[in-house]
Amino acid sequence: MIEKPEIPEAASGHAIAQQSRRDFLAFAAGILATAAGAWWLLPDKTKARLLPGAARDRLDTLAARVGLSGRNRELFLDRALTFDDDVAEALFSQDRRVRTYARSETTPLKPNYHGQAPLPESLAGWTLTLDGLASGRTERLDASALARFPKREQVTRLVCVEGWSAVAWWGGIAFADLLRAFPPAPGARWAALRSQISRDPAGRPEPYFVSIDLPTAHHAQTLLATELSGRPLPLAHGAPLRLVAPVKLGLKNIKAITHIAYQAQEPADYWNLRGYSKYDGL
Amino acid sequence: MAPKSPRPDRTVLIVRKHHWLVRWTHWLNVPLLFGLIATGLAIYWAAPVFKHAPDPVTGSRDYLADLGFAIARLTGDPSGGRWVYEHFGLGTGQLAGALRLHWLLAYFFMLNGVLYAIGLMKGGGWRALVPRPSDGAEALRMIRYYLGVIPHAISRKPWPHPVVRSKYNALQRGAYFTMPLVGALVVLSGWAMHKPSQLGWLERLFVSYDGARIVHFACMLVLGSFVVPHVILVVADGFDTFRSMLTGWSTRLKSDDREGA
Repeated sequence: MIEKPEIPEAASGHAIAQQSRRDFLAFAAGILATAAGAWWLLPDKTKARLLPGAARDRLDTLAARVGLSGRNRELFLDRALTFDDDVAEALFSQDRRVRTYARSETTPLKPNYHGQAPLPESLAGWTLTLDGLASGRTERLDASALARFPKREQVTRLVCVEGWSAVAWWGGIAFADLLRAFPPAPGARWAALRSQISRDPAGRPEPYFVSIDLPTAHHAQTLLATELSGRPLPLAHGAPLRLVAPVKLGLKNIKAITHIAYQAQEPADYWNLRGYSKYDGL
Repeated sequence: MAPKSPRPDRTVLIVRKHHWLVRWTHWLNVPLLFGLIATGLAIYWAAPVFKHAPDPVTGSRDYLADLGFAIARLTGDPSGGRWVYEHFGLGTGQLAGALRLHWLLAYFFMLNGVLYAIGLMKGGGWRALVPRPSDGAEALRMIRYYLGVIPHAISRKPWPHPVVRSKYNALQRGAYFTMPLVGALVVLSGWAMHKPSQLGWLERLFVSYDGARIVHFACMLVLGSFVVPHVILVVADGFDTFRSMLTGWSTRLKSDDREGA
């Protein structure tokens, strides 16, 4: 039998009573510390619901006095988020391919914009502006210039940070091909992708922008897509050009791209400024 | 039998029950799981996996919101479809905050699990958790015993606890053996969702992305529902059992022949 019989041992009643007292005190201290820590970490919106009124402010002030302030909470949680991003970056491998599917396996794809899709008028005279190139020049490519690149197709899964995902059949050019044709300046480590024509939920112009690390841009399955399901991209899905990077969360797969700039410093990222992670590697 | 509290002036017989790492990680699981479920539900709310066609009356598209509407209607609560998300979760509309907390707690939960496993090894506690051939028959005996407790208490007839010579009875062993496995499964399905591209093999293990989501949700239900009978049985079993998870020792010797929790 694996389990050994319990062997009673003789102990000094005084000693174990003392140990018991110490353990119970530590337990009580642990409960208090956990409660304080939980209160500290809870989002303000949740706290407002749990404890409406002045009691919440008093508790927050008390917590801030021992260093558990809202500012410190943000710093702490940001560090946890950065740690998770570092884990994602360590897991990334340039040579690893993501799972591909048959064209018959595609599923409905939600056209999530951060706001509304661009107006059809804004596509007139559309060009893709490239900056931060080795040539030192600013390049402007129109649709016909992009059409000269070899066309790639793939059926991959797009995973949204919200938790839904969809399998879609994409067509377009490999980001790596664009990088080869217009190499970034030496020292560049990031691509800042921007849509100048996208709109906020109320329909007002609001640029959308994401940061993409160059290893991801060079990945063989990272496309600058112009087609969905064998047809030109509809406005709702990012016409005329969108990023398809299946190694990144959907929110990095920027639609209606107008600008790409290569740079040494990590660019700002729309959703990162709103509390989401930054690297977003899947 | 009432638990014996050691008198300070004499020698008492004790048995060592739980390694200190097992005890610490056991208690840490409580706030960690609580936080993981609360943040997990806030994440789940953003895109439920258990969905149906929109309800013509409530407009609800997911079963947790349906449950919320049902409870809110019974209790007259104004939160409606948000009831479950607000009472068991952080609430609705805070995906970014919930994700940050969920990752933080998830890393601590994984670390906690590793420390728990080390504690089980170092203290030899794992030996008491290993299933054995007699478990089926003993489990049936225990179920029969538990079903009879209340009727016999009402009719004031004696209803002796089955004799258990091992540290745990078969039902406890089954539960305590399963929980770490469910814990491992919840971590694996979590990684399958978190890194489906780099850990594609893991995603395939759960068939698909949604497969991992469903397993993750089911594990949450199992872990959450384990707590209820666990706490009831510890309370029923008495102070000594609770204390042994704090101090590590028990004054209840096997010759006393009672088991629970």
